[in-house]
Amino acid sequence: MGTTKDILSPFLVWKQFFRKPVTIKEPLKRQGADRYRGFHINDIQECIGCGTCESICENQAIDLVAVAGIDTKSGDSGLRPKVDYGRCCWCALCVDVCTTGSLKLTNVFTWVDTDPDQFRYIPGVDAKPWDNATKGYKKAASLELYPLERIPMQHLHPEERHDSFIEIIKGFSKEEALREADRCVACGICTATCPAHMGIPEYIKAIREDNVEEGLRIMYETNPLPEICGRICTHKCETVCSVGHRGDPLSIRWLKRYLADQVPASAYASVLKSDSIEKNNRKVAIIGAGPAGLSAAYYLGMMGYQITVFEKLSAAGGMMRFGIPEYRLPYDQIDKDINYILSLGVEIKYGVSVGKDITLEQLEKEYDAVFAATGLHDGRSTRIPGTNHSGVYQSIELLRKITLGEPIEVAEKIVVIGGGNVAMDITRSLARMQRQKYGKVQLIATSLETEDIMPADREEVVEAREEGAIIYPGWGPREIIVENDRIKGLKVVQCLSVFDEQKRFSPKFDESNENFFEADMVVESIGQGANLSYIPASYFEQLEKDHRGRVLVDTLTFQTKLPWLFMGGDIIEGPDVIHGIANGHKAAKGIDQYLNANREEKQ
Amino acid sequence: MFDHVISELKNLFSAGEISGTEARLRFVTLPQNQAVKAVKYLNEKQGYRHLVLLTAVDYIEQGQFQLTYLLHNPENRTDIGVRVLIDRENATMESAHTLWPTIATYQRELREMFGIQFPGSPGVDDDFILEGWRGLPPYRRDFDTKAFAESFFPQREGRGTNDPAAFMKEKLYPNE
Amino acid sequence: MNKQGVFSLEGDRSKYPQPGADGKPEIDLSSHKYMKMWQGPNHPGITGNMSVELTVCADEVVEAKTHVGYLHRGFEKLMERRKYIQNFPLVCRIAVPEPDYNELNYATAIEKLTGIEVPEKGLWLRTLVAEMARLQGYLMWLGGMAGAVGFGTVGQWSNYLRDLILDRFEELTGARIYHIYILPGGVRNDLPEGFADRMEANLKEIEGFMKDINRVLFNNYVYKKRTVGIGYIDPAWIYPYGIVGPNARAAGSKNDVRKDSPYVKYPELDFGVNTATDSDIYTRSVLRYNELLTDVDLIRQILSKMPKEGDFIAKLPNMMNLTIPAGETYVRSECTRGEYGYYMVSDGSGYPRRVNVRGPSYTHAVALLEKMLVNANIADVAQIMVSLHTYPPEIER
Repeated sequence: MGTTKDILSPFLVWKQFFRKPVTIKEPLKRQGADRYRGFHINDIQECIGCGTCESICENQAIDLVAVAGIDTKSGDSGLRPKVDYGRCCWCALCVDVCTTGSLKLTNVFTWVDTDPDQFRYIPGVDAKPWDNATKGYKKAASLELYPLERIPMQHLHPEERHDSFIEIIKGFSKEEALREADRCVACGICTATCPAHMGIPEYIKAIREDNVEEGLRIMYETNPLPEICGRICTHKCETVCSVGHRGDPLSIRWLKRYLADQVPASAYASVLKSDSIEKNNRKVAIIGAGPAGLSAAYYLGMMGYQITVFEKLSAAGGMMRFGIPEYRLPYDQIDKDINYILSLGVEIKYGVSVGKDITLEQLEKEYDAVFAATGLHDGRSTRIPGTNHSGVYQSIELLRKITLGEPIEVAEKIVVIGGGNVAMDITRSLARMQRQKYGKVQLIATSLETEDIMPADREEVVEAREEGAIIYPGWGPREIIVENDRIKGLKVVQCLSVFDEQKRFSPKFDESNENFFEADMVVESIGQGANLSYIPASYFEQLEKDHRGRVLVDTLTFQTKLPWLFMGGDIIEGPDVIHGIANGHKAAKGIDQYLNANREEKQ
Repeated sequence: MFDHVISELKNLFSAGEISGTEARLRFVTLPQNQAVKAVKYLNEKQGYRHLVLLTAVDYIEQGQFQLTYLLHNPENRTDIGVRVLIDRENATMESAHTLWPTIATYQRELREMFGIQFPGSPGVDDDFILEGWRGLPPYRRDFDTKAFAESFFPQREGRGTNDPAAFMKEKLYPNE
Repeated sequence: MNKQGVFSLEGDRSKYPQPGADGKPEIDLSSHKYMKMWQGPNHPGITGNMSVELTVCADEVVEAKTHVGYLHRGFEKLMERRKYIQNFPLVCRIAVPEPDYNELNYATAIEKLTGIEVPEKGLWLRTLVAEMARLQGYLMWLGGMAGAVGFGTVGQWSNYLRDLILDRFEELTGARIYHIYILPGGVRNDLPEGFADRMEANLKEIEGFMKDINRVLFNNYVYKKRTVGIGYIDPAWIYPYGIVGPNARAAGSKNDVRKDSPYVKYPELDFGVNTATDSDIYTRSVLRYNELLTDVDLIRQILSKMPKEGDFIAKLPNMMNLTIPAGETYVRSECTRGEYGYYMVSDGSGYPRRVNVRGPSYTHAVALLEKMLVNANIADVAQIMVSLHTYPPEIER
């Protein structure tokens, strides 16, 4: 060491003296890289305030705050994220996890202010110079912090199911349920949309933790018919699921079914702690053993009331049993839910028609309160020429007869009028029976609504087609052609629109575009009406009604203007199962309130 | 790769549970009075000369600390983690500073952060990271960092958040 | 055994009290023969927020004690109350200049315990950021090393060069320092358009500068005088003192985690282990300089061998709900300072039971430094310390 070379060598780098300086002069005009993680922007119209950004933020830099001008509504909490840059570390996990993709970071990184409180703002609401920045960190398309694809539900293939009434949906295995439950981000947006306000994220969490008993308890807090709802609920929750904004919504309905399927009926009483109810001596009569009536019976039963349910038909379940075909909802599953309610001491009097076999006045006298949930069981007619022919049927009557095992006419060629779920139910039931009888299906279902606005669930339409039925949406029925007292078919014209600008029902037709569907039998399935004839006129007059004659009740307690009479279910709201269940629950609370107040008065 | 050394550990030091599925890493549970002897044996006789780390895991539910001596064999590139479960109350462990002078640092940190005593370890009672700290050893599970931070540091005014589900109930169906 | 440098005086132990039972000399400060001196926490010759308490007799160090704690944020403890995914913004802060190794080890530990597999392209991109991190880490160290001997110019150059790599980090990951680029199952983004070309230009510039730095630093009479023969690490200390990385390799060791326990795509790359035997400051600094050039070569190899197409991240389970079955693992990788390891214990919940970070500085800056500084000249303390390449945050975590 210490050679001459070591002394001379450093001088060889003199050329560095002539280099251009690399320093950047103030002010820094340097732009951040294209994917630089700078300040937040948020598309507040896209954002639904699910709070997933807040929950992933390890720094607790995000608060969810109410924003003027953004209303809380189904599917949108009305809250928006507010970022505190005193805590934010620009990790952008909030961007990666954002369910709607509304939250992004810009590549802007300079912001000078003397007031520290300025560095807290609501992106997208408080205007900032970088609001329109296009560059900055965005989540890469293939990066997802949670799976967007649903776990597919195993079901019977069309050829395995098209000639029988066995259940189509097989239900999740444990492994599938755990994987599907894992997709939930637990934001809770769904709870408000569910008519029963079920604790959906909570019971999904119970599935993840493989605690099915806890899950069942959570479900029964708001819904005493989980086996049924787990199969046929209209799952409005899934329409608002935050994961559904960029991917498939959670299969909330199938998860509910999974939970209920896991717990054997024999374990319900101990899991749900119904083996130690304190009974009281007050009596409540319930008219109709459908979802609303059963739900009210359950919650009142849990409160200790003595419940008598009056059911016109020979079995309980209402529309769930007599409207929905067995391939969607097997009878043993209905029985599982109903038997558990009966195990609380609820009594059902079958084959008793209120208004005929017993009057409402009698119920008023003998019971402390009455809850009427009689549902919509009278099929509506299109009233087009030919509907009075004996070969024209109401779908709801046919479905009832199928459940009861009574023989019905199954013609070789059938036309079903209607595009709702009931229409699909009768279509698919008749298609099965046609196949059983003739070995082939010749069935056309036609509806006013075009396919995109058909009220039936999408999968119902798809599966009906798979089973051989032809669905012709967008046609208005004009006449049932009868020749020699035999039905020849249905004449239809093209329907241009169903609703007017005020969203009222006001169909418009193109009369020039006619079509003819050959048929030996026509089934009308365009909706059902209530039959309230069991309410004597003297009582009916006292009830409050809207302009269309529908009975109005207190929206919280479902009490009518007759204080002892409560009404709920499809005759008030819906029609669907989950509204019925929610109504029954609220009515139960309303009746409890009413009777407690009454007793205090008496004392 | 581990068969021989693990059977030796079983024979000589009554090794308990063996775990680990990776090809070159095994964890072996040893009784407290055998652990340092076993670690010495591994170091001197089996070529596990590199002390990767010594650390503790607080299993407060079982009232135990787990000490992990992770040793690396530079010849066959395998690791053995020696696990020792010691009582959480008056936690004391034999010092291994005669094997590796550097382990004194680890033991000093464990004394400070977990309150585990290593009698005889050089400088073990000197403050290491937490100068002047006299409270509960902070890496114990029962030390609540959030509560500490909230009581120790001023909280920023004006923060407040809402739970979406609760907020929606408040707005849309407050009485149901 | 120790090499004799011109300005480095081999101390005469007999002048000082013999060590006591704990291995430390008993020093009577009231004798006025000794003086306490603090190097750090604010001192240009200290590597970050750390300090060394020196007891000196004249200009010779009799006793040294490392003080840390200026940066302690309790990362390991904080991780225990955060979900696995939420720890990514946290772990990168454990070694500020090389955050990627924390991300890499932490993600790999999660992958080992959960069985998540990283796609091919993700592994390549991880290899790339690992090497970029090493390159910029060495550049930063080079500046520090030159600065410790008072040669600030080289520090300016190498910081400029490091900035070039940070520019590439910025366009690849979205941040210059805390990249938060690696996630379980892969990385967050693909290479931007034209990245390889810009990187190549940077590498060329770095190589150009390196020739000059070689002339001006390593072939410099003054630098040699201040480093040759000073700060000797005895190969016999390697295992007792837990010495890893370049510090061990300059003492004849061949340990390099990239070769010994290969991870990511290193088995598919062609590179050798840099070793030396003289084991003084000069040897270590030249060895790091060679490592730096190896990294330049490796980055070229990675960019040319990396597939253009392919997934860079696996399909992940919901990271918000991720729970990890009970178990424990240890993951190591070779950062600029040597073996960097993460020991992770899971108890089956969604939160780690314990994460322990094993940084090379933990042994280098405490037990080893305290030993090496004894008998050193005060003027050499800074070089010795910087030549160990220590990062205080990884000591106290």
